[in-house]
Amino acid sequence: MPEMKDEAFEFLLARAGLNLTDEQKAELKTVFAGIAAMAERVRKPRGYMAEPALVYDFAEEDLA
Amino acid sequence: MSGTIPTIAEAARLIAAKRLSPVELTEACLERVHALDGQLHAFVHLTEERALADARAAEAAIMANGPKGPLHGIPIGLKDIVDTKGVPTTCQSKFLQDNIPDVDAACAEKLATAGTVLIGKTTTHEFADGGPSFDLPKPPARNPWNTEHFTAGSSSGTGAGVAAGLILGGIGTDTGGSIRGPAALCGIAGIKPTYGLVSRAGVAPAAYSLDHIGPMAWNAEDCALMLQALAGHDPRDPASASRPIPNYTAGLGGGVRGLRIGVVHHFHETDHKVSEGTQRGITAAITTFRDLGAEISEVQLSPLQDWLACGSLISITERAAAYEEWARTRLGDFSERLRSRLMLGAFVTGVDYVQAVRRRRELRAELQGAMRGLDVVLTATQPAEAAKIDSVPKWDLFAAPNFTMPFNVTGYPAISVCSGFGASGLPVAIQLVGKPFAEPTLLRVADAFEKATPFRDRRPPVVAA
Repeated sequence: MPEMKDEAFEFLLARAGLNLTDEQKAELKTVFAGIAAMAERVRKPRGYMAEPALVYDFAEEDLA
Repeated sequence: MSGTIPTIAEAARLIAAKRLSPVELTEACLERVHALDGQLHAFVHLTEERALADARAAEAAIMANGPKGPLHGIPIGLKDIVDTKGVPTTCQSKFLQDNIPDVDAACAEKLATAGTVLIGKTTTHEFADGGPSFDLPKPPARNPWNTEHFTAGSSSGTGAGVAAGLILGGIGTDTGGSIRGPAALCGIAGIKPTYGLVSRAGVAPAAYSLDHIGPMAWNAEDCALMLQALAGHDPRDPASASRPIPNYTAGLGGGVRGLRIGVVHHFHETDHKVSEGTQRGITAAITTFRDLGAEISEVQLSPLQDWLACGSLISITERAAAYEEWARTRLGDFSERLRSRLMLGAFVTGVDYVQAVRRRRELRAELQGAMRGLDVVLTATQPAEAAKIDSVPKWDLFAAPNFTMPFNVTGYPAISVCSGFGASGLPVAIQLVGKPFAEPTLLRVADAFEKATPFRDRRPPVVAA
């Protein structure tokens, strides 16, 4: 699991435009590993042709 | 009848026969509201005068011309993220305490056109996310089966209100389980329709591509009656599907003989092991379906954790985008719970989001393949009976995967129905999942289950008291 360095953490918060208290920052740091684990879980060896499902409709084979 | 509280179908038959007045029905609901809502907090805003006026108008119209449909004169509630013309719509948030929309949301408009009587706006988690909060303008809803316990959310007020008979049906919204969760813990029925079937226009977003609008009611038949009024294409909703709308009640009573039901055992037995009471309900439900003539088989899908990761990354990002302006300028005005969810958006990169959406396509294809040769899939709705309201963890997102998110990720329709009661007397539920736009089959299966089991005969003790 990647470790969240203080500089990176502050950069991400600034990039998101979030102004947090020290207490909020401390709490948020404790759950970063959970997000990182989710991000790891959605990554699969799928090649560059695999398209996202940004827009989809239900095809006839869905309904059969 | 279920005690003294009729279902929508029962009330509709009595109204059509002129043996029940919409005014009497509305007054009975309002009496229960006055008696119980001080404990339940199912409503954030009552529309009592409007309800009585609408009920009187419905009564006059029905006496003159008969009912225009089964929802004419039926008391309902709308989750307070649903815009209502001239009626406050606060999203249970400090940001919108003075918000009075000029236009009804599509679902509110459709239910009004069908002749329903609006009792009030029902309690929600702030902007339909975060959990039970005690730092908002109104308190969280309480579970009518035991008011020390949680209703689940975010359609918490509609769940509590229907269970206690304050309303006969209502609108919920579902981004990761917010219709089915409260339906399960409050012992009622709630259906998340296929993505695109019910318009989202005029409903505050939680996460655009996961949001669904749907009915919550005492049983599947009532959900079918409400869905009939709600379904249909709406050009104001970019995800709205343009398809013919079937008759959702025509198949009810048709039983399940010959239907094929796949059980995702590993979801509730391995990936997130459910409580003894919930497992007992699932096992008994499988036996019931088999006894009714359904073919039962086992279904294998990716681990529940995969579905949660995919749905959560999408949900966190879309929510952070929707509420970014307020998060940047007035973060402290959100409840602690929603603020915490919004802060997570800082950690999800654009690439993470796209990887999640690529995973979404794979998971949808996986479910599509697994359901080939099946009519319905069965698993749990909730892991256990309702927890105490003060013990719901703030970071439950990371605690254990939920059973409902897979069908927001895929957009497949899913319904929760009561499957019994745990040792504490609180309800447990099963979740049934259908193929896209196959709500008639899904409702038929749910209805068959309810009619074969005794769980619709029991209301929360608080109602009898």
